[in-house]
Amino acid sequence: MELLTNPLSLLIILPAAAGLALLAVPPGKTGALKGLALGATLLTFLLSLKLYAGFDPAQAAMQFQLDKPWLPAYGINYFLGIDGISLLMIMLTALLMPVSVLASFSYIKESQRAYYACLLFLEASMIGVFAALDLFAFYMFWEGMLIPMYFLIGIWGGPRRIYAALKFFIYTMAGSVLMLVAILWVVSAHHAATGAWTFSLPALYGGALTAQAQFWLFAAFALAFAVKVPLFPFHTWLPDAHVEAPTAGSVLLAGVLLKMGVYGYLRLAVPLFPDAARVFAPWLAGLGVVGIIYGSLVAWSQRDMKKMVAYSSVAHLGVVVLGIMAFEPSAAAGAVLQMANHGLSTGALFLLVGVLYERRHTRLIEDYGGLAKVMPGFSAVFMIVTLSSIGLPGLNGFVGEVLVLFGSFKVYPWLAGAAVAGVILSAVYMLGMYQQVVFGPLRHTENKVLPDLSAREWLYLAPLLVFIVLIGVWPGPFLRRTLPAVNSYIALSQQKTAPLPAEINIVAGGEEKE
Amino acid sequence: MITDPLSYAASALSGPLLLVLAAFGCLLLPLFIKRLRGTQGLIALGAALVALTFLRRAPSAEFSLFGGAMLLSPLSAYLWAFALLVLIVVAVLSIARLAAPAESQGEYYFLLFMATIGLMVLVTAGDLFTVFIALELLSLPVYALAGIRRSKPGLEAAYKYFMLGAFGSGMTVMGIAILNALYPSLAFAALKAAPAQPLALAGFLLVISGFAFKTALVPFHMWVPDAYEGAPTQVSAFMAAAVKAGGVIVLWRLFSLFDGGPVREIFWWLAVLTAVSANLMALAQKGLKRLLAYSSVAHAGYMAVAFFGGRQGFEAVLYYLPVYAMATIGAFSVALLLEKEERGPQIEDLAGLAKSRPWLAGAMSAFMFSLAGVPPLAGFFAKFYAFAGAVNGGYTGLVVIAIIMSAVSIYYYLKVTVVMYMKPAANGHTPEAPGMIEAVIFLMAAGVILAGVFSRPLLTLAAEASRWF
Repeated sequence: MELLTNPLSLLIILPAAAGLALLAVPPGKTGALKGLALGATLLTFLLSLKLYAGFDPAQAAMQFQLDKPWLPAYGINYFLGIDGISLLMIMLTALLMPVSVLASFSYIKESQRAYYACLLFLEASMIGVFAALDLFAFYMFWEGMLIPMYFLIGIWGGPRRIYAALKFFIYTMAGSVLMLVAILWVVSAHHAATGAWTFSLPALYGGALTAQAQFWLFAAFALAFAVKVPLFPFHTWLPDAHVEAPTAGSVLLAGVLLKMGVYGYLRLAVPLFPDAARVFAPWLAGLGVVGIIYGSLVAWSQRDMKKMVAYSSVAHLGVVVLGIMAFEPSAAAGAVLQMANHGLSTGALFLLVGVLYERRHTRLIEDYGGLAKVMPGFSAVFMIVTLSSIGLPGLNGFVGEVLVLFGSFKVYPWLAGAAVAGVILSAVYMLGMYQQVVFGPLRHTENKVLPDLSAREWLYLAPLLVFIVLIGVWPGPFLRRTLPAVNSYIALSQQKTAPLPAEINIVAGGEEKE
Repeated sequence: MITDPLSYAASALSGPLLLVLAAFGCLLLPLFIKRLRGTQGLIALGAALVALTFLRRAPSAEFSLFGGAMLLSPLSAYLWAFALLVLIVVAVLSIARLAAPAESQGEYYFLLFMATIGLMVLVTAGDLFTVFIALELLSLPVYALAGIRRSKPGLEAAYKYFMLGAFGSGMTVMGIAILNALYPSLAFAALKAAPAQPLALAGFLLVISGFAFKTALVPFHMWVPDAYEGAPTQVSAFMAAAVKAGGVIVLWRLFSLFDGGPVREIFWWLAVLTAVSANLMALAQKGLKRLLAYSSVAHAGYMAVAFFGGRQGFEAVLYYLPVYAMATIGAFSVALLLEKEERGPQIEDLAGLAKSRPWLAGAMSAFMFSLAGVPPLAGFFAKFYAFAGAVNGGYTGLVVIAIIMSAVSIYYYLKVTVVMYMKPAANGHTPEAPGMIEAVIFLMAAGVILAGVFSRPLLTLAAEASRWF
């Protein structure tokens, strides 16, 4: 029963089992449904705290490992394990889930059973992505997450939900299928070299693939992750999906799903194909910076708050990609921290937009104004979150962004310089929105009677605020736990695994194999 | 453990023999005993279940019967079990809702059993003559089954299927004649060792195109959409699951006669053409049965990709067949449940199903996601194994094409779920009391959900069977 005693495996099985249990609840009993969903997600969060407590910050190796044969004929194992990066991401996921469940209590009125079941299945596969050390298991969790998210957007989403759901699913899937071929290729090459079938990531690290092969393989992986992050030309699914999804869906999309793309670079693409990664890195970092500036400019021009937050995600993730592609310890550590930061602040922003939307059923900035008078509590929270999102010192966003910018400046001075411009832009549009929504006169009579945050809303915003401030003033514990993982990422990225000559010639086709 | 070949063969062959008896029983008994009229379905089901019990775990050996015409091995046991299970499910569906007019019930089960026997012989055939006889035994009853309602769509389906099928059979027999003239023996083992000759290549290609008809590989697929749409839905399910399986197995036998050269190249092109064009054509379909027809063509293409994986690929094909069969039979059962006219429901008719019958919609989504190959459903594992073999065999380009087309296919499978979950119901579905069709649907849904993540048992069986090739 190691499957249940290992905390990582339990973190995956618990939400999945709770999701199945939800399906067995009779449809009418919404109270029981909500209670069960909230209880399961809270229990998962408590378990993740146990994970945090038991995590040894000094150790670079994967912890809490579980390695069970799953499909031995193919060398596929149910292989789990985490380092500091995964720990942070799993904790972020586990924190955002009860928040999302709480935020859905009044918003979701139809087919609640299926809704909460979808959320729980989503949680299981998201944690699975961050815990998997077997390529097959990773791919399964990675793709398996599409089904619940697709239904979340498509059934409970906004007016253009069908278009957004289809676009999300097809974009992501189309991006990932080539990664599957690449996975098969890597495993097959490893078998040809060593005679053993394995999908285990640590075993595949440092495999001697020619530079040419690495180039194509990295490209296939990078495409899948670039769609998910999303990097600049592949981002078009994001505004649609984020805007149409229900609040909880947007929170999880921005908070966790986007991080999966970055995590994919950190865990798979770069360490597996370091030679190619170094060739691609400046380009990817450049795309990240293009994303920062483009995302900021487009966000600036939005009138819909949710769209603005969605485009600001493109910009924030651009910073993260710049950080991880610099292969510089402080930049990478900052990027990892920024992943968590973005999850917290953008998640909170989507929640706040949801709070307004539930009251007024509009997300247009011009429909608001002067909310400080009627909703003082809301305005205060909104202030903190906005400042966190633009990176004010003392809040979490600052630590991550500064580390990334300083670190990457050593490697890509021009790109880092351009990125700073983007960061300034984010202050312009976020503060602009804040000012128009919260300050000024109360132009619309409907807004005069808006109630302030309810107890339930305080309850789900409070944990996010706590972490926003906590990471801002005391990032040490989080950084300390990620540092060994970041250092091993940098070390893996600097390996030279390709046999000489290590030049890459771009030639189409690849039917023959080394 | 080698048992006495004779006793093993006797017990193994009792299955098909019992089916022959039951087939005639269904056909003749009700003619003489009036009380048995209307019970043919139950007789058939009982006989098929008994036949299944004859399939004991085969000893790890190959027994050659009738001078090499039939080869009994764990492979044949695996495929026979598959054929019988498909037969049982189709029989249950036909009892739950009559596929044939009441006065033709006897003929219906007779033809269904004969086709199954044909399939069982086809997959165990050791030489090309037996293959041809079994092919005809499989095909002729299915032509008749397609038109058994004697209604316009049914007859059109039967007519098209028969015309093109007869053309395919003609090519096969022509090819066999050429090979017979060139080689002393038509046994597969002898053909494998025989020296290559230019004319023999023509013969092989004729035989292969004949079976490409049965398997519905593009460009030999023209009959599929009309036949699947017009035939009774139970028969369409049988065609998609069973007839295709027979074609795939024979194609694999033919494919594995060659280590390289033009035949492999032609298979490469068949697989590519099938995967590309079937998926593109499926995008435009409005009828559910037509959609499933094009999807079945596409899946034949994916299986053809698996051929390039050698033994690993064959193992994948053996896993693929039941997984595909579960998903497609399940989806056809949903079509059967909702059909108000013979051509089956339009995709739009599924609107609002998630509201009126949430579990049914859930099961249908499981079939669609499995056919699309989305984890964690079994269809993903099947595609994974199929493509893993081909990549390992060095055919990465082929896999890239197939997998991109499989990503395209997501659109039309998702379309079904969109209609079920995200469109309001145009006309209310009348909730009926759950019946046997639902039972089949949920059994198949459980299959596609569990057979993937827990694919070890089925994969082990497939691996053992694939060794006896």
